[in-house]
Order: sequence, then structure tokens, then C-alpha cells
Amino acid sequence: MNLARTPVGRRQLLAGTAAGGAALALAACGGGDGGSSDGSVTITMVESLTNSARTELLAGLLEEFEAAHPGITVELVSPPTEQADQKIQQMLQAGSGVDVLEVRDLTIGPFTNNSWLYDMTAETEAWDGFEQLTDQAKGFATSVDGKAYALPYGFYGLSLYYRPDLVEEAGFDGPPETWEDLVEQAAAIQDPSQNRYGYAFRGTSNAIGQTMSALEAYNAEDLDLENVYQLADGSSIFSSAASQEALDMYIELFETGSPNSAVAWGYPEMVEAFTNGSTAFLLQDPEVIAAVEQSSLTEDQWAVAPLVTGPGGKAMWPMATAGWGVAEASEHKDAAVKLVQWLSGEASTTFAKENSLVPILQSASEDEHFRTGPWAAYVTMTEAPDTFLTCQEPRGVAWWTEWGQRSDTDIQRILTGDLSTTDALTGWDEFWTEKWEG
Amino acid sequence: MTEPSVAQRRAGSPGTGTRSRRRPFTLRTALLIAAFLAPAFVFVAIFTYYPMLRGSQMAFRQWNLYDLTTTPWVGLENFRAIIADPSSGRILLNTIGWVLGSIIPQLVIGFAIALWLRRAFRFRGIYQALVFYPWAVSGFLIGLLFRWMFNSEFGVVNDLLTRIGLIDTPIPWLADPNLAMIAVVTANIWYGVTFFAMMILAALQSVPDELLEAAAIDGSGRARTLFSVMIPAIQSTLVLTVLLRVIWIFNFPDIIWAMTKGGPADQTHIATTWMIQLTQQGNYGHASALGLTVVGLLMVFAAIYLALLSKDNTR
Repeated sequence: MNLARTPVGRRQLLAGTAAGGAALALAACGGGDGGSSDGSVTITMVESLTNSARTELLAGLLEEFEAAHPGITVELVSPPTEQADQKIQQMLQAGSGVDVLEVRDLTIGPFTNNSWLYDMTAETEAWDGFEQLTDQAKGFATSVDGKAYALPYGFYGLSLYYRPDLVEEAGFDGPPETWEDLVEQAAAIQDPSQNRYGYAFRGTSNAIGQTMSALEAYNAEDLDLENVYQLADGSSIFSSAASQEALDMYIELFETGSPNSAVAWGYPEMVEAFTNGSTAFLLQDPEVIAAVEQSSLTEDQWAVAPLVTGPGGKAMWPMATAGWGVAEASEHKDAAVKLVQWLSGEASTTFAKENSLVPILQSASEDEHFRTGPWAAYVTMTEAPDTFLTCQEPRGVAWWTEWGQRSDTDIQRILTGDLSTTDALTGWDEFWTEKWEG
Repeated sequence: MTEPSVAQRRAGSPGTGTRSRRRPFTLRTALLIAAFLAPAFVFVAIFTYYPMLRGSQMAFRQWNLYDLTTTPWVGLENFRAIIADPSSGRILLNTIGWVLGSIIPQLVIGFAIALWLRRAFRFRGIYQALVFYPWAVSGFLIGLLFRWMFNSEFGVVNDLLTRIGLIDTPIPWLADPNLAMIAVVTANIWYGVTFFAMMILAALQSVPDELLEAAAIDGSGRARTLFSVMIPAIQSTLVLTVLLRVIWIFNFPDIIWAMTKGGPADQTHIATTWMIQLTQQGNYGHASALGLTVVGLLMVFAAIYLALLSKDNTR
């Protein structure tokens, strides 16, 4: 039978089409509240810095949470890292589909500005676990107007990965302790004819991170610890004579201790250069520990030293971080806050261990895992707060990404001889001063 | 009796028969057609036109991710900012260099491959599959692969050049402002040759053998046959393929983004990598203004190109 040629068939088709359209419309507009008549709830959690091993770890922790909290089911959503923040932003903007989310120091500014995050201050004040957090963790938790919009799960901070064998071969007693030592040792080890290089220089994709480490160490005595891009007198860090000295020293490190091609090196090239044995020094976050452990380097071929210091013997230790927050539009804030607090408790130490992060709990420094091997340098730094000063970079400002991209271009222009260090610093000073003035 | 029309002859109709079979166009028929079209129209409207219009209006507003609570209209301010940006001139030149540097070799090499694959030879099918393979791979992935291949210290390109004795010190392909564009264009040529080869091969296979045999009988050599017979026979395919590829390459940031992110020092920055950068900054107003500018430029290019083509065809 040819349905389309019979009156009934047409009506059925029209009705079917209309029903289909209605179903589409409902599907587009719908969305349950995740609750059920027996009081159990399902909440959705979205991560941002996704990778398969981490997702598996997180899923295991969520199972433990569900077992400890009958009636709460957590659905984990794991978008690919490159698109994750945009996806989270779309969910927050739409006001549905997310209860708990990963909040980064880069996104907490826009997310709170747009009122997308729930203020957990009242719940955090009543939570016993808050006092167990390190000062750094407490600082991030209350970094936006003193309110608790997210609880951190760990920190990423720089330390120096080095090759003890190459250092010894070059005639030095131990790893560099200051930036000047680093320049000297890198130059001594560098031998391009043997495909051997001193320092894994970062020339692109957030090149400013390592550059600022040098500038901050040289300005350590004069910085505003709440915002290390600013001197205590309110002017920008880029306006000081110490910054000129630091940037010149840093470019010397490139010229005498790094391969020319490092102009184009980002994170993967730096890590590859260290793990394949061709480069002696790498300034990186603890997340590379796993990569180095899996590389061809043997245990006695690599070690971790504290961050190198400036002329005053001090180094700034600003840390990148991320944590868990609750969506303002969530209909199950109680359950969502419970999950965030649980993840920031004992579970956070497991998460930090498995994910190579500086932990958020004070008790973790007593843990054998963090006191030995590559982690020992982190404990050393934590136990010397007058040398390695805890501080904050202004990562939450609206122009942070713009700054990163602009400074990447300028650093590459310096390295390729198209811009002087003096002009770069002047431009950076003007950039930040103008932005701060609004 | 008059001769039947061409349409009537093609339909095999003897004369008046077709008219009697056609049903009257009623409201019911119209509704039926509308009902069939509705799902597709709704989909296209929701997923193409609505986002496009929504995105376009951002170009005329202050639309910054950092604060979406206030998005006032700013007229043409975003366009002014894009044009006044000190890097816009270099980016425009880079974009032109990227398109021309990619498309000309892609066309020439793709043509040569298509000519080669046109001949019957053993395992031709396998060769065809191998040649067309790159088109199935993501542009971003290709960019990542070439990024490592062009790596100065650990890359295969410098290794090969050293082994065959052409160089004795590694060339910093992606770090040298004068070489980076060559590296990204090389990757794009490798990627895009395939598309030209596919399109041209399909067109060449439609050229009748009789035409080529006639040319051979008339004493035409290989070059003469190519330029006077084959190319004119497939001209429309060539023109459309070039037009399509210009638009695609213009809008194709994947390889550059994966290889250099526009560096070193903006030397490989093109309009669409700039758009990605602006989006990452949360500056959707500027990104949208740049997007509309690119659309405008490409429409002007397409109009001129098609006008020239139509003028050429009417000669």
C-alpha cells in the first residue's frame, strides 16, 4: 500500500510529523530535576582538565562517595580538555545540566562575575574540614571577595627537574640554587654537537609562566604577595630595574644554555627534551613526575630540586590551582555541596597522589609519599616559607588569557631579535597599568 | 503537427499525456510538502541559522565572557578595533600567503597525481587508497604530527636532511620567523593535494577516450593534449575546486594552530587563528566581528571569481 497516496496515509504522516516536531521541541526544552519520590537524587558533575587516567580515578572516588551517601548518585561528564571550559560555560549559561563543576583559577573570575557559581560560604563555615586545609588551599577557597565559591583539590607549582649525572660531569657539586647558577650550569652542559642542551626553555604557549618565575625571584623583597604582578608601591613588577636584570638573565639562559629552536617549544617539547635525555634542566609542575617515571631515564638519572632563587635568596612560589564548585542553578545544592566537601577531605590526598598534585590537606605533609623521592623538594619548599614565598598571581582577571597570548608573542619577538627586553618590559608595564586603571 | 519539445521527448511523452497525469496543487498538497520539509527546516534553523544570527549580533555588542551581565550595543566599534589592531596588516598578508602558497602547489601536484592515477596499472586501487588517505585524517592531528616532524632536534625532517648530507646543523623550522610559514604550508600542501587529486581524477575520467584518440590522430603531443584538450574539458571542475579550496584554506586554522599557534612572533598567524585567540580571550565581540569580516571578504572573492568565470564562459 502506498501510504502517501491515501488520505489516511497523509493524515498519519502529518500527525507523525507533528508528533515528531513536538517530541523534538520537548527534548530541546526538557530536563528533569534529577530527584525522585523516595528522596534520592542524581547530580551531574563536569570535569575540565580531563584525561583518561584521571577520569577513571575520579569515577572510583565517586563510587566511594555514593557508597558513603546512600540516596545520592553522581553522573560524571568528562568533555575533552580543549573544549571542556567552553562546554561548562554553555551549561552554566543555559542554567541546566550541571550541579558540581571543576573551577580553575582561570575561570573562577568569569564564572563568579556572571553569578554562575553558588556561594558556599555558610556551608564551608560549618564544615569541620576547612581547618584541615593548608593556608594556600584556604586562600584559594576564599579568593573571590572572601566568599567560598570553590574548594581546591590540589596545586600545581614549579620546581627544578635536573640530571644529577650531567651536572656532575660538568664539574658542579649539586643542582643550581639560584638563577645565576642555572645559567652557568646550563651553559656548561650545553653541547649542540652532541645533541645535548642545558635548559628546556619554554618559548611559546604560556611562555610567560617561567619568565615570571625569574622576574618574581629578582623582585622578591618588593612584591605585593596578594598580587605578585604588583610592587608594594602599587606600580607594576615590569617597571623595576630588577625586572630588567632578570629578563636579561633569562634571555642569556636561552642564548647560552638552550637550543635555538626552543622559540617554538611548548609543554610537550620541554618535557620530551628532558625525558629523552637530551636536556639537563626542566622547570615544571609536579604533573611531569609521571611522564619522567615512565621515560627511559633511570632513577639515578633524574631528581627534583627546589625552585631556583633570585639575588636575595628568595623565590616566589605562586601556584596554579583548580577545585570543585557548585552551579548557582543547581536544584540539588545540598547534595552537591556534600560532594564538594567530601572531595576536599581525605579523598583529596588520594586524588593528589594519583594525579601528581601538591596536596591541600595539612596532614598530607606527614605522608611518606610526599616526603620522599621527587616530592621531597616540594616538602622542602613548603617547610621553608621565608625562602619560598607563597603568593598569588592575578590569574582571575578578565585579561589573563589576552596577557598570556600577548606575552607569548613578545617573548618570541625577543628571542628572534625583533624586540628588545627594555621595550618588552615597557610594553608590559603599560599593558598592566592601563588594565588596572580600567 | 508541430515538433514535440525537448522536454516532452526526454520524458518519452507522445504529446498531451503528461498533463492529464498531474494532480491539482491543493492546500492539502502544500501542507504535506510543508510537513515533509518542516523537520529539516527546523533543524537547519535551530542549529545553523539561529547560532549564525546570534553569533553575528555579538559583533555589534560588547560581548566579553568575563562579564556577560552587561552586553551593550557598540555599533561598529568591534570592527574598528579589529582593523586598528597593529597585527591586522601582518595577519592579512600571512593569510594571503597561506592561501596562495598552499593552493598553487596543491593544484599542480594534485593534477600530476590525478594524471598518473588515470592510467590503468597494477594495484591502482591500492595506490588510490593510499593517496587519498590523508583526507580522512583530522587536520589538527596532521598539525601535531608535522609539529614533531619539523622539530629541530628530534624531528625526522632534519634527521633525513642530515643523513643525506644536505645540512650539518639542525634547521629550526618552527622557531625561525623566515621558515615557519614554509613548514606549515608544507604540511597543508601534503594534506590538501589529496582533495585536488580526487576531484581532478573524477573529472579526467569523464573525458571521453575518443576525444584523446582524436587529438593523438591529429598529431597532438602530450603537452598539447593536456593544455588544449584535457584542461579545457575539465575547466569547470578545476574552477569550482579552486574556489572551494580557497574558501576552505582561508578558514582552516587546524594545522597552524597545532604546529605553531600562529608563532613565532605572529609570523604564521592567519585570520582564523586570530579568531581562535580572541575566542580564548573571551572576547566574543571582537571574534565575531573578525568572523563576519572574513565572511565578507570571502563573499567578495567568490563573487569576483564567479563573475570572471561567467564572463570567460560567454566569450
